[in-house]
Amino acid sequence: MSKKTTQNTATLPEKVYNFCSKKKMILGVLIAVFVIFIAGIVIRGVHLAIEFKGGTLITYSYQGELDSNDVKSTVEGIINDSVLIRTGENLDAGGKQITISFTSEEGLTADRQVELTNALNEKYAENELEIYDSNDVSPSSGREMLLKCFIAVLFAAFVVIIYIAIRFTNIGGWSAGVCSVFALCFDILVALTATIEFGFEFNSNIVAVVLTILGYSINNTIVIYDRIRENRKLMPKASLNELINVSCTQSLTRSIRTSITTIGTMLIVTIVVFVKGYDSLLSFSVPLMFGLISGTFSSLFVAPVTWSWWKGKQKAKK
Amino acid sequence: MKKTGKSTFFIVTILILLFTITSVLGVDKLYADRTDTYVKGVDDIRLGIDIKGGVDVTFAPAGDYDANTDQLDAATAIIKTRLTSLGITDNEVYSDEKSDRIIVRFPWQVGESDFNPEAAVKELGEMAELTFRKGTDSDTDEDGNIIPTGELVLKGDDVASAQAQYIPDENGEYEYVVALELNSEGSSKFAEATGELAGSSTPISIWMDNTMISAPTVKNTITGGRATISGSFDQDSAKRLADQINSGALPFKMETKSFKTISPTMGEGSLDAILLAAAIAFVFIAIYMMILYRLPGFVAVIALIGQIAGSLAAITGWFSFMNGSTLTIPGIAGIILAVGMGVDANIITGERIKEEIKTGKSLDAAIKIAYKRAFSAILDGNITNVIIAVILMGAFGVPDSFFSKILNKTIFFAFGATAEGVVYSFGFTLLVGVVCNFIFGVFASRLMVTSLSKFKCFRNRKLYGGDEK
Repeated sequence: MSKKTTQNTATLPEKVYNFCSKKKMILGVLIAVFVIFIAGIVIRGVHLAIEFKGGTLITYSYQGELDSNDVKSTVEGIINDSVLIRTGENLDAGGKQITISFTSEEGLTADRQVELTNALNEKYAENELEIYDSNDVSPSSGREMLLKCFIAVLFAAFVVIIYIAIRFTNIGGWSAGVCSVFALCFDILVALTATIEFGFEFNSNIVAVVLTILGYSINNTIVIYDRIRENRKLMPKASLNELINVSCTQSLTRSIRTSITTIGTMLIVTIVVFVKGYDSLLSFSVPLMFGLISGTFSSLFVAPVTWSWWKGKQKAKK
Repeated sequence: MKKTGKSTFFIVTILILLFTITSVLGVDKLYADRTDTYVKGVDDIRLGIDIKGGVDVTFAPAGDYDANTDQLDAATAIIKTRLTSLGITDNEVYSDEKSDRIIVRFPWQVGESDFNPEAAVKELGEMAELTFRKGTDSDTDEDGNIIPTGELVLKGDDVASAQAQYIPDENGEYEYVVALELNSEGSSKFAEATGELAGSSTPISIWMDNTMISAPTVKNTITGGRATISGSFDQDSAKRLADQINSGALPFKMETKSFKTISPTMGEGSLDAILLAAAIAFVFIAIYMMILYRLPGFVAVIALIGQIAGSLAAITGWFSFMNGSTLTIPGIAGIILAVGMGVDANIITGERIKEEIKTGKSLDAAIKIAYKRAFSAILDGNITNVIIAVILMGAFGVPDSFFSKILNKTIFFAFGATAEGVVYSFGFTLLVGVVCNFIFGVFASRLMVTSLSKFKCFRNRKLYGGDEK
């Protein structure tokens, strides 16, 4: 919305990179990510955490020695269902832990958890079992949570399209809005692919990742659109492709520098978390890092170039 | 634009520093043995249960029982009373009528290693035993529990309903009372007991489980099954007592739909890791900004400090017009995103200043135009984030908050309130961070750069990324 000020002519950058000629490369990247995503689902599978699929996970800390097979049969005897047992050491609490996960569709109500804990404490009295953490979600509320997150993101995307359509009318707002959301979907896909390929669980961290990317990706695209909007006024005769190329080139330094700070921050978080041994946060920082890298790429390439392609088609029809 | 003088930089910087210091340290006054907190500091931040550890549990009626509003209010009242009697005062209880859910959250009581969350939650969901007894006598058993010993008058299922009413007393003045309606069996038992106690100083005490909730004295013999309890009630306390009495007659048991306990050690460790990473990242960003943008970069660092202080202040409740919030791990992600947007705003402006200076404009004109032109990009980018934050706060907020009321009746009508505090917290810190970004990253930083550029020693164009001249 820059008003006419002292100078009104566009100053072109010394060298304008041709972003719009990279259609094939962009299409190639899109397909490659999609293939990796599908392959990941097929080969590695999607691990939904119990927040979403429902179920029960209880972790006890204990002293001394425990035979996990013995515990397994004891637990199965109490609740009449098959369970999975995993033992491990905990770095921060400094003790040994045993995790029991219940594969059944039904949740385990608090009543039955009390029953189970009491029975285990009786049988393994010398191990001093203590609840470390527990998580029980009924399958219906897990699915509802997943669906609600999905609709919230969808609704947010819809409102953002409307906002962009209004604010960027002079460069044909609707199509620009849709393309920015398309770029956003690509970034989310990259983050999900990273989650699958690294074998992370889909838990509430992924919700935070998707939300962060939602904000970051749209912001990135808008900065480019804003430059196009401004240049449209300064260079009324230029073709759309020229406009896009000039605007992306002008924003390139900013894009790279901002990305270095955000991606750098996530890299620092990843390293610190990894060194300190809080693996539970890796499923937040690593997919987010990939999403941010993708966000830089998609705001410079995917959004403007798809948009120019769309506009080109429209023109050809007329 | 108003005239920005040389002194503006110092005024803005001092204000930001004062704000930062008060929001980090807080303001307390020590009176001998008592501390009065005027402004809450970082130490007073309420940490979410994902950091501090705690219990997050959702109750719903067992089976497919469809509870009505009164029954749900009554069930909520039982849970609140029991939390208090368990000594868990720092709790959050929300009820949602549509999905018949009651959501309870409370932090782990630090230092209580024998605190048993499973047993506590089991107790919360149990049906309440409501009794009316003669006198207020009680005994303490060997576990330290108080057991009522007065002679039993009525039990929960003798009560048909209880209701808060606002009626005139014998002098014609209006007051709040609790009106009881008893069933036929209850009526005759109550008539007998009140006949015996009328006029005496022995009250009839009302107990929920082992907690005495009221002990009214009996004025007259009450026949016909209708009684009112009067006293110094206000609207809330009358409603509360009515809810508590009703809860004794609930036809269902509350069952846990989801139940999470998180140990405090797991959370606090991850908080430390995040704080360490944040500190390293901030130093890295500060150096990076100062190398890239020199003077505007230095100003950007001051603005970022202000922005982070602003986010902390909003969480602690520094601003008197808004309540504080709890800080969760996704909440920290929201702060990171907002700070990222703040860095971006400064980079966009810094680049613009460079560009404008390179076109050969005078320093003052370049700075003025750069801020003006950069603003439209910053505005649109940040407004979209405000939209996202508001939608998240609405979709996942507590059922009676402002944004939820709007959204839950429209877009999310098909869903019950989940009060997924974790997502809400992300929206909250993002919203606050974006607002702070406008205040510090755009407004304050423009004032500071413009003011500094008035000094002779800072008029070197190189300091702004231009070529030497």
